[in-house]
Amino acid sequence: MAPRTRFDALLERFFYRPDETVGAWLELAPEIADSIEEVDELPEEFLAFELSTETYAVPIGAVREILKVPIITSVPRVASHVLGVMNVRGEMLPVYDLKQRLNLEEAPARVEGPNDVPRGARVVLLKDPEGDAGILVDKVRGVVRLPLSKLEPAPSLGGDRRAVAGLGRQDGELFILLDVEQALA
Amino acid sequence: MAPPRALSEFVAEANEVLETLAHDVAVLDAQRGREADPDLLNAIFRAAHSLKGLSAMFGQERISALAHHLEDVLDALRLGKVPNSDTLIDSLLEGVDVLTLMLREASGDAASAETGRRANTLAETFARLASGGQSGAADVLDEVGIDPAIRSVFTEYEEHRLRENVKKGVALWKVRAVFGLDDFDQRLASLNGLLKPLGEVISTLPSSQPGDEASIAFDLIFGSSRPKDEIERTVASLATVAPLTQKAMKPAAPMREPEFTPAPRKPAPLFIQEVSAPDLQPYQQSSSPSGVMQGAEPSLRSLAQTVRVDISRLDSLMNTIGELLTVRANIHRLAEVAKQSSGTPLPKLWAQELQKESRALERKLDELQNGVLDVRMVPLVQVFDKLARLMRRLVRQSGKDVHFEVSGGDVELDKLIVEELSDPLMHLLRNALDHGIEIPERRIEQGKDARGVIRLKAQQLGNQVQIEVGDDGSGMDETRIRQVAIERGLVTHEATEELERRDLLNLVFLPGFSTRSDVSELSGRGVGLDVVKTNLSRLSGLIDIESKRGEGTRFVLTLPLTLAIIRALVVAVGDRTFAVPLNSVTEIVSVKPSQLRTIERREVIDVRGQTLPFVRLSRIFNLRESTADRYFVVIIGLAQERFGLAVDALLGQEDIVTKPLGGRLTGVPGIAGATELGDRRAVLVLDVGALVEELKRPQAAVG
Repeated sequence: MAPRTRFDALLERFFYRPDETVGAWLELAPEIADSIEEVDELPEEFLAFELSTETYAVPIGAVREILKVPIITSVPRVASHVLGVMNVRGEMLPVYDLKQRLNLEEAPARVEGPNDVPRGARVVLLKDPEGDAGILVDKVRGVVRLPLSKLEPAPSLGGDRRAVAGLGRQDGELFILLDVEQALA
Repeated sequence: MAPPRALSEFVAEANEVLETLAHDVAVLDAQRGREADPDLLNAIFRAAHSLKGLSAMFGQERISALAHHLEDVLDALRLGKVPNSDTLIDSLLEGVDVLTLMLREASGDAASAETGRRANTLAETFARLASGGQSGAADVLDEVGIDPAIRSVFTEYEEHRLRENVKKGVALWKVRAVFGLDDFDQRLASLNGLLKPLGEVISTLPSSQPGDEASIAFDLIFGSSRPKDEIERTVASLATVAPLTQKAMKPAAPMREPEFTPAPRKPAPLFIQEVSAPDLQPYQQSSSPSGVMQGAEPSLRSLAQTVRVDISRLDSLMNTIGELLTVRANIHRLAEVAKQSSGTPLPKLWAQELQKESRALERKLDELQNGVLDVRMVPLVQVFDKLARLMRRLVRQSGKDVHFEVSGGDVELDKLIVEELSDPLMHLLRNALDHGIEIPERRIEQGKDARGVIRLKAQQLGNQVQIEVGDDGSGMDETRIRQVAIERGLVTHEATEELERRDLLNLVFLPGFSTRSDVSELSGRGVGLDVVKTNLSRLSGLIDIESKRGEGTRFVLTLPLTLAIIRALVVAVGDRTFAVPLNSVTEIVSVKPSQLRTIERREVIDVRGQTLPFVRLSRIFNLRESTADRYFVVIIGLAQERFGLAVDALLGQEDIVTKPLGGRLTGVPGIAGATELGDRRAVLVLDVGALVEELKRPQAAVG
């Protein structure tokens, strides 16, 4: 009898008590098993850029984007190799001057915008777990592929060279691989 | 281990359930001594049950096990197997505390053995409570005579409710209603609504004599002490009323109004809770000596960073966004016109239309901004509830007689601020109880009511919210405060000579100040009011003390409604631009260099008879100083401090959203973050609170 079944369904709905429900959690539960570990794969592609007369490189995976030099607002009371903060589409990010850090120059630079730098200069925005940060470079060279097996460790030249992770060579040119974390510290 | 996302969602959800549970237990506690409202008991039971299920599903066995015990005891309570005793309510309160601790530990902190011990003791207490108390008295239901066919369908819980009603001499009725199949649910609900004020709807049974195909009949088993004709009048044409019992009810006890009024399901906008220590049994929980509990008093902040939002607020946001899309389309069209008419001058009409659209855009953006702010707002009751629970326990431990009044829980504030407020408020309330309210004997000696009053009150005043923590205790002793401040080397003797009473009172906010030599069990944790003040400064809040000897003390906290979008004064020093949050600016004056004075080589200015420190922003931040023939001085008033901040120029006011300076630069002293002004440039926002603290530091060293 058709009306009877509809009637039963209505009754069931009516007398249903929410005591036994835990909401939508059942759907979430299977996710618990889903944490997949990612294998850390060493990068082969690097972004090369120039700082003074030297050529540096960072793993391409660590680069978030490359920006034309924006207006940089200097921040008081910070280390001298911090140029200031820039506004990247509403996000406030610090910009670093690595030349001083890498002993390429003695005095801290004062860069407050595109007018203070040569035409080719860019800010390379690096991804970093401690907070993304930009570094001011004189020129971006492009992407280089360096065979991982042929990378050399950084030679000990004395001084503060912790920021150098190693050296790579291609067509007779030397690329200094930057340890991003150390360079920004 | 559950992945972090699932865990955080569990914590958020469990926290919500726990908050409901805590609120309902608090209501139950407030109704101590009276018969508990069955709806309330059911709600508490359901919350415990959901918590059990939820935590079991996420492998949180400690929580699940305790919630299970809680559920058992609540089930026994709602079935009337155990009486609603003070011990039971005490253990429910402890249960809420322990569950909160466990959830906190589950969300990050390591599981502590102490919590485990408390949980075990509690589980034993629950087990004892749940098993005991079954009475073997003759069943009153047998005596009144209920049709066995009907009686057989009652659940255990319904039988218990019937029994309770019979015991009280409340008559039982069978209310028969026949409704059409298409709308019976609404009509049944409205019938329930009519009956509720007159008594208790114990059960709703589908009738044994169904009507025709298109309708359904119900028997509502209804307990009410009102006369039959009144019930009949109320249900009018909806239903017929007949007695359920075959034998006449014993005219037990004089007819009373229903014992319980339905508990408010939502926190009432203004509620007053009462605590009276001597009426209550001392809190007994052998495993948790009060000293330990005090030391480990958990923060009252909630664990989840989520906001529950009324759907209508989201709807209005959606509407605004819809209107914004229309504006965008119009602007787009105008741009097309401009593109096509390149070379030829644009008609005047075009400019007018563009202006109109741009105004509309502005208006809608304002609406959108307000809408988003609205979504962030939560009522203070969320934190007031927790404080009330804590106070009830502290009052019981203190042995003082205190009436705790809470009002203004419906005032809404930004979620962030509400969270940050819980700890300072807890501190002030503890202080009021511990230092403010005297012991009953002393109060009687002074001709006061033996019972003290502690008040927690909130009200909105324009763009600000004022929260008051007051007591009618002994008031603050400024001579003692001065003495202590000098002893601790916080100020020099000479310096205090010139201080007004009000300034003397403010000495209690200095770091390292604590009035009582005997560290009290209640509020002595070595943490002083300076922490309260720092917390408030972080929220751009002000704190004020009013105190009269022998009459009491009032702390008044003034807070902005929100921190998300603030109005700021844009100032310039040389070629640098900074934003100063306007809520800390009290006024702006202009000063000539000749008007500057120095005290101990520190520059000061005179603002209408008040001498204020004069601080050059350029010196604080090592910027080039300009030689001006006059300074603009922004008078900063934050909490109790006031000083003048000298800048070269004032550039105007802006609504700003302060953003952190990226992970690596957070914590630059004096800089709260940066904001984007019209030209997309980053402008630094001053951290006024930090600047104030900085100014005070060298001063404190003088003593």
